[in-house]
Amino acid sequence: MVSYSMPFVLLSALTINILLQANGLSGTSYRLFFLSAAFPIGFSIGRAIYLRWSHIQIAFDSMSFSVIKGSKEITNGLWRSYRNVSIILDRYGKPNLRLYKSIDGEYVDIPISKTNAKPQEFRDFVQRLLSTQRSQRISPQAVEAV
Amino acid sequence: MPEDPRPIDAFELGLIQGRARWIGDLTEFFRDYRIGDTTFALYAKGRTRNSGFLISRFFSWTVLPNYAIALFCVDEGEGSLGIETLRNRVDVVTRISKDEDLQWAWLILFSRKNIQPSIVSFVSRYDKRELGLAVASTTVKQIVLSNNQIGKSIEKHLRLSRALGEEKSGKTD
Repeated sequence: MVSYSMPFVLLSALTINILLQANGLSGTSYRLFFLSAAFPIGFSIGRAIYLRWSHIQIAFDSMSFSVIKGSKEITNGLWRSYRNVSIILDRYGKPNLRLYKSIDGEYVDIPISKTNAKPQEFRDFVQRLLSTQRSQRISPQAVEAV
Repeated sequence: MPEDPRPIDAFELGLIQGRARWIGDLTEFFRDYRIGDTTFALYAKGRTRNSGFLISRFFSWTVLPNYAIALFCVDEGEGSLGIETLRNRVDVVTRISKDEDLQWAWLILFSRKNIQPSIVSFVSRYDKRELGLAVASTTVKQIVLSNNQIGKSIEKHLRLSRALGEEKSGKTD
């Protein structure tokens, strides 16, 4: 979020400075006070842009999951559609989760490195979910004949 | 007080953080991965060419070969680890290496029992260059490494002893 905000902090400071000079306030003692407003203004704009475009949210329950980037849902699915889970390192060495529909088959990546989830714990949690769903699929339900 | 992580979890965490980078780039980590009749507590896949950034990336693309490699860990738990089991594990990994066209592989067996002298003898005399072998006792913190370059790298680069919670390595070469 800081990288999104800093250009706007700089832009706000420049704009405030231009306004102060145009109004003849650049020499007064209030100058620093007005300039310090650049930080909250810049951070607010940066935060709004970050939340709108780049913030990653992973929503899940025992049945399904969805990945939301900014205000758009980029992936969703049911746990029972997947057979295997692994931790995959991206090109920067950041650990993400990969869900496989079949071994070495179709897969979907969940960018957990962009959240505060611990990769090993989350992978183990997902693995337990997948094996539970699998065992539910395998074990036949007992139906009583009437 | 937080519980100590299991040796295999600690070992995996080290690999995720890039502990193997000087010898290979392990990029994908599976747990409880079943191949045939064997369930590997940890199975990691990677390549010899690491990704890096700018200069290291250019260096690896121009100099390093791009071979497939893998790491296999088996948790033997409380069960006794005999020569027959060990030979079976080696055979399975050798077969997977051939199928997956791996340039080399590591096989590490964790056991909660003392390592038998016959196992020490087998592992320390194992010298096939395409498979690095190690047996680790998580209770007495003993590590036995195979007598080849890949086997020695299990301690030198992957730092298996750290995963067992040792300050100094108690390995038997």
